[in-house]
Amino acid sequence: MAREAKKKKTTKLIALSSTNKAYEFNRPLEKKIKYQGKVVDIKLHEDPKGFSYIVWKNKKYMLDVIEKKQNRYTIMVNGVWHSFTVETPVSLKRKRYLEQQVDLSVGVSIEAPMPGKIIDILVEEGSEVKEGEPIIILEAMKMQNEISSHISGIVQSVSVKKNESVMKDDILMEIRRA
Amino acid sequence: MKIKSILIANRGEIAIRIIKTARKMGIRSYVIKTAKEPNAWYLEEADRIIDFSENFDESIPEFLDIERIIKSAKKHKVDAIHPGYGFLAENPDFARRCEESKIIFIGPSHEIIYRMGHKTIAKELARESGVPLLGGSPGAVSDAEEARRVASEIGYPVILKAAAGGGGRGMRVVSREKDIERMFSLATNEAAKAFNNPDVFLEKFVREPRHIEFQILADQHGNIVHLGERECSVQRKHQKLLEESPSPALNSSLRKKMGDAAIKIARSVNYYSAGTVEFLLDSENNFSFMEMNTRIQVEHPVTEMVTGIDLIEQMILIAEGEKLPFTQKDIKLKGWAIEWRINAEDVQSGFSPSLGTIEKISWVENEHVRVDTGVRDGSVITPYFDSMIAKLIIHAETRERALQLSSQAIMKFWIKGTKTTLAFCRAVLQNSNFRKGNFNTSFISKELKIHYQNEPDEALLAAFFATYDYAREMNENEEKPLHTENGKAITPWVLKKRLR
Repeated sequence: MAREAKKKKTTKLIALSSTNKAYEFNRPLEKKIKYQGKVVDIKLHEDPKGFSYIVWKNKKYMLDVIEKKQNRYTIMVNGVWHSFTVETPVSLKRKRYLEQQVDLSVGVSIEAPMPGKIIDILVEEGSEVKEGEPIIILEAMKMQNEISSHISGIVQSVSVKKNESVMKDDILMEIRRA
Repeated sequence: MKIKSILIANRGEIAIRIIKTARKMGIRSYVIKTAKEPNAWYLEEADRIIDFSENFDESIPEFLDIERIIKSAKKHKVDAIHPGYGFLAENPDFARRCEESKIIFIGPSHEIIYRMGHKTIAKELARESGVPLLGGSPGAVSDAEEARRVASEIGYPVILKAAAGGGGRGMRVVSREKDIERMFSLATNEAAKAFNNPDVFLEKFVREPRHIEFQILADQHGNIVHLGERECSVQRKHQKLLEESPSPALNSSLRKKMGDAAIKIARSVNYYSAGTVEFLLDSENNFSFMEMNTRIQVEHPVTEMVTGIDLIEQMILIAEGEKLPFTQKDIKLKGWAIEWRINAEDVQSGFSPSLGTIEKISWVENEHVRVDTGVRDGSVITPYFDSMIAKLIIHAETRERALQLSSQAIMKFWIKGTKTTLAFCRAVLQNSNFRKGNFNTSFISKELKIHYQNEPDEALLAAFFATYDYAREMNENEEKPLHTENGKAITPWVLKKRLR
C-alpha cells in the first residue's frame, strides 16, 4: 500500500545521475558507504573558512552544492559538477515508467544555455532545421554565441523576439522531430 | 611632470593591479563606481571613488562614457587617466579627449592608437618596416560579396577580423565558401557591438599556428626595448586561457629575430608606453605580424615575473616623460612563468558563462605564486562584464617546476558558489603534449579530448553527498513529503494510478 510505504522509512536512496547511472546507498547514511562490496568510512569536514570537503582514501575532495531544488542536486567535486536526482526505489520506478510514455510528436524545447540578449533569430516557424544547425544568436558576456538545435525537425514555435533579454533556461523555441 | 593622481577608467582585477602600483609610487587613485557592481572590491582599494551609479545613461556603459569620465577627471583635478585593458584602452578618441583636456593619458598618443588600431594601416606600417605579413584584403571588406571575392583569391581558410578589434571578439574563421555570408554578418554584428565599428577585414588563416606576442616598452625619447615573448597558444575561440613566458617554441636566435621585428614595428609609429606586438608562428618557425595592442594586456604578469619589471610603473614613468631606466642588454629573462585564467565558466557545457555569487574564495600565495583578482567572498559575477575571476600566476626556475607548482596551486585554489575553469586547468596540466611544450592554437579543439579533469571516485562522492544531504533534510523535516511535483505533494492515490 502506497500510504504505508510513505510512512515507513525508506531504507534505500538512489542518486540517479544525468547520464542515467544509479548510485544506491543505504539509509541511514552515516559516514559509511558500501564501496566495491566493502563498507568504507567516509568523513565529511568543514574547514575554518567554511569550505566543505570529504576525506576519501586519504585524499581531500572539495565539495560544493551548486544547485539544490527539491530532489535535484548539482554537486561540485574538485571543480567538476555532477547532477543527480535523489530517488527512492518507488519514485525511481515511477520515473522510469513515465520516461517510457514520452510522446515523440510533442515539440522539444530549445532553452537558453545562458542569460543574454537575442541578437538574431535565424529560423522561423515552419523552417526545417538539422541537428547542429545554428538557430539563434545570443549575446552574453560581450560574446555573440550561436545557439544550435540539438535535434533535426521542424520549428513549431518561436518564443522570443530580436533584442529581447532572456534568462538561463528560458525557452527560445520548440522544434518538432521530423 | 610628476603624476600625483590617477583616475582608473576600469574595474575588477586590473583596477586593483593599477592601484597597487599607484600606492607604491605615492600616487592617489580614483575609481568609478557603477550601479552594476556597487560593492565591488576595487572600490575599497582605491583612495577616492567617483560615483556613476546614479543618473546613469542606460544607452552607454559607464566605462565607455568618454565625456562623463573626462568631466569627472577635470572636476576632481586628476593628473592622469589609466584605461587598463578593454573598454576605452584602445580608443583614440578617448586618448585625444584626454590630451585636449590637459589630462595625461597613460598610454601612447591618440595618433599611435589610431594607426595601430586600424588593422590596414598597421599592416602597411609592418610592410614598410620589412616585417613578414599574411595575405588578405587591403582594407575593410565592404560586404559579403567582396569577402567572397577576396577569399577565393587568397584561398580558404580565411579569417574575418574586426578592424577595430582585439581580445578575440569579432573574429570568425571561414573554411568553406558557403559559410562566408553568414560568418560575415556574425563578424560585423559582433564588431559593431563590441567596438562600435562594424568594419571587418579578411586575411589568410594559418592552420594550427602558435600565438606568440612580444612585450614592448618605449619612452618618449625614442628608446625601445622588448621584454621577451609570451606564449598564448592555448586559446578557445580566440580567447586565451593561459599564457607563459618564455615560450617553449623559441630559442634565443628566434627570440632575437622576432624581438627585433617587434621593435621595428614599434619604431615605425614612434611608439611610446607599454605595448604588445602579436605574431603567428607556423610549424616551420616562420612568423608573421598580426597586430599591435597599444595597452597593458591581461597576461602582463608573466612578463613581470620573468623580468622583475613592474609594467604599470613603467607606463606611469613613461607618461611622465621619464627615460627608460634600462637598455635591451639589461633585460634578462629569469625562470619560467605561467598564468592560469580562472573564469566563471562552465567547462562541462561548452565554456558557457556561469553567473552567481562567489560565496567563498581562498588560495595560497607565496614566493612562487601570485594571484591577481578583483573578487573576494560575496562578490557577484554579473552578465555585464567579462567572466574572469582571477589570474593565478606561477613563477619557478624551470618550466617543469612551474607546472608542478601549478598543480599544487590549482588544488589549493578553492572557490565556492560558481563553476570555474579550474578543472580545465587540471586537464591541461595532465596532457603530455602540453607538458612537453608541444602545442599550438588547435590544442583545445584537437588535443584536449576532455575539457575538465576528474577522477572516477568523484562521481560516487558527489552522489553520496547529494543523497546524504537529501536524507538529512528528510530526517530534519519528516513532514516533508517524499514525492513532490511542482513543490506539492502527490497523493498516494495519484501515484498508485500512475504506477498501474
